Amino acid sequence: MTAWNDSAGGKRASAILKSRPFLTLAIVAAVWIVASFVSRGFGAYGHLRYLVELGAVIGLVAAGQTFVVIAGGIDLSVAAIVTVSAISLPLLSWQADPTGLVSILAVLVLTTIIGVINGLGVALLRVHPMIMTLAMATFLQGLLIIIAGGSAVTAENPLVHWLGNARPAGIPAGIILWIATSAVVLTVMHATPFGARIFAMGANPLAASLSGVPMTSTTLAVYGISGFTAGLAGVLVLGMNGQGYVGIGDPYLLASIAAVVLGGTSILGGLGTYAGTIPGAILLVTITALITVVNASPGWRSILFGSLILGLLLLSGREQARR
Amino acid sequence: MTTVAPLLAARGVSKAFFGNPVLRGVSIALQPGRVHALLGENGAGKSTLINLLSGALRPDGGEIEVDGRAVPRMTPALARQAGIAVVQQELSLTASLSIAENVGLGAYPKRFGLIDYKELAARAKAACALVGLNEPLSTPVGHLALGRRQMVEIAKALYRKPRVLILDEPTSSLSSTETKILTDLLERLRGEGIAILYISHRLNEVMALCQHVTVLKDGTCTADRSLVGTDATGLVRLMVGRDPGDLFPKWQPFVSTTTAISVRKFSAGLMRDVDLDIRAGEVLGIGGLVGQGQEDLLLGLYGAIPGRTASAVVNGISGLPGGVPKANALGLAYVPADRKREGLHLIHPILTNMMLPAFARLPALKLRSRKTERETGKSLAAQLAIKGDLQRPAQALSGGNQQKVALAKWMPHDPLVLLLNDPTRGVDVETKREIYLMLRTFAAAGKAVVLLSSDTSELVHLCDRVAVVREGRITATLERAALSEEAIVSAAMGAEKQKVAA
Repeated sequence: MTAWNDSAGGKRASAILKSRPFLTLAIVAAVWIVASFVSRGFGAYGHLRYLVELGAVIGLVAAGQTFVVIAGGIDLSVAAIVTVSAISLPLLSWQADPTGLVSILAVLVLTTIIGVINGLGVALLRVHPMIMTLAMATFLQGLLIIIAGGSAVTAENPLVHWLGNARPAGIPAGIILWIATSAVVLTVMHATPFGARIFAMGANPLAASLSGVPMTSTTLAVYGISGFTAGLAGVLVLGMNGQGYVGIGDPYLLASIAAVVLGGTSILGGLGTYAGTIPGAILLVTITALITVVNASPGWRSILFGSLILGLLLLSGREQARR
Repeated sequence: MTTVAPLLAARGVSKAFFGNPVLRGVSIALQPGRVHALLGENGAGKSTLINLLSGALRPDGGEIEVDGRAVPRMTPALARQAGIAVVQQELSLTASLSIAENVGLGAYPKRFGLIDYKELAARAKAACALVGLNEPLSTPVGHLALGRRQMVEIAKALYRKPRVLILDEPTSSLSSTETKILTDLLERLRGEGIAILYISHRLNEVMALCQHVTVLKDGTCTADRSLVGTDATGLVRLMVGRDPGDLFPKWQPFVSTTTAISVRKFSAGLMRDVDLDIRAGEVLGIGGLVGQGQEDLLLGLYGAIPGRTASAVVNGISGLPGGVPKANALGLAYVPADRKREGLHLIHPILTNMMLPAFARLPALKLRSRKTERETGKSLAAQLAIKGDLQRPAQALSGGNQQKVALAKWMPHDPLVLLLNDPTRGVDVETKREIYLMLRTFAAAGKAVVLLSSDTSELVHLCDRVAVVREGRITATLERAALSEEAIVSAAMGAEKQKVAA
């Protein structure tokens, strides 16, 4: 009996050691250790905490992206939605809302609706997710230029300011927000029927629909979640930055997809976990920080960034061919 | 004729897929100047035999001979060199290329290393003229109707000036004029000394055109004889004649007056104006040749494809479900034919596959209980004799066990109507027996089972009634007393009317 328990425990331990989330985490740890020896100050607690705080924004955008990718789609409108959130929040402020909570909720409803419209296009009009979300991104960018123009808007929202700057118990509020979101995301993904439907939809949409999975409502929900988390990331980035401007969300499109893939989620859908996306997001900001430390010119930084991501993907194993 | 070495022959070939034997010691010899018919039911091994002859597959045992000499490693390239051309049942044309480009594909005439379009046009034109294709050669094949595309496919085979021509159901999509052109052409080619292997479900064509026949039944050769002195009824008997043994559970008459599903003037996909009553407690068979609309009947009832109806009552509720989740709620369950593509999530664990209909119906954000899932999975696995770790991905299972999983996942819901699309295709005998037993037990519990099958013997021995579908309509409903393989096959082929092919 004990022997059986031991072998089951051993099996589980070896499964965790071989899993992609753990592998990505190990790479992050290795990079941190090496970098702290090479560059003085890199390994300081304050610096690492700052990295994770930056990672929180990517992590939030990538939370929705992970849902969408597992469900077999892709959301190319997340960057535009982050910008929408960061610009419309200062505009949506009321005298009768001293804490700023109501305007934050209004913005989150707005970005969720944008996501649901993406879902409607994908599920009902049968537009390919890439085309639908790219068109949405272009549409939103045009709208933002008309509304905000080239000027930056400053947020006068106390709650947003708190999110971006407060450190209860020494931990940045942004990181706390990320931890809370991660807990909800992981629960929904792996412990509810809704999460199981998403995996089924991504692995084989035909079989999923013949098994009774409600395809339309699930698709709407998945893109709605992506709109919501991108909106949340926009609120956080506004708080950290103090100002919102057109283009503030741009870095988060590629970063969110890269974090999802680095975390081991299959870009073909049906396989993956947000538990991998979390270290994936931290790995991305770490690489960016390393490149900044190297003090290269902007052109070389981009080249290094691209090559490193490609190299890491080769290192952590490519997708296996599917039958 | 017997003294001439056959142009192409198989000697005692065997082939198995994933441990299921498909062909067992089959021999066939194609003589020059003879049209040789290959008959057999769906799944008898005809397509596999063709694939062996054309080098697309390698036999597990036995030999392929060309001009009397054994070819140890037959490949498609070698077959082409030997002058063997195959017209496949599934068209192998490229829709965006022109007729001429498709006809010459893979054997374009070259000039200075470039394609010689002038020469290609001339040679393609000659091949097309043989089959009566008079469309402009630059027409993209995608613009042609199915029957014309079939003619392009035949022209493509003739372009290579074959010595052996293999045709897999060439007339299934042809009009009677096109069929006449084809039969005249084959007569002429035969006169030129070409060996022709002709596969068709249309027996009158076979009687008119062929001189020799080989009949396959469950992977073995049951007849290899001259067609002189046989008639259509005799051929049908050769195709279906087999001792069913104790493969099927003992049939017991059922007594039930409750109607599970009743539709009037029901249309969906290929099906037109069908009146059908499915009774609780019966196994209703759906028979017919492949692709007559049977699948659309099931999918339409299940709400997976849009359907129209004058009136419908499903388990006491009037109206069609109109969507899969709704159909599930009404107690309908569907087991698809293509388990890999439609039935299972191959990359996901067996357990997750079994639980999917539950996940689809439970409240979306209710917390899952892994313990209950494991227990449900365990009891399902025990019930259906699915062995091994349920955390393995479903692709690790054999075909038969995959089919059991596709069935098992509906069991916890206790469906009132089970719609099955060819559940025993590519399944070994033992699993077949288990599935049959399960279906009969299910019906005995007062549920309705609708069994679409391409295996005529299982329709005869398992079903209470069989509806035979031809060209989108139910052409005959045979009661238990009138059930026989001959009756089903004749109804499916319209043999009772003796339709003239030409």
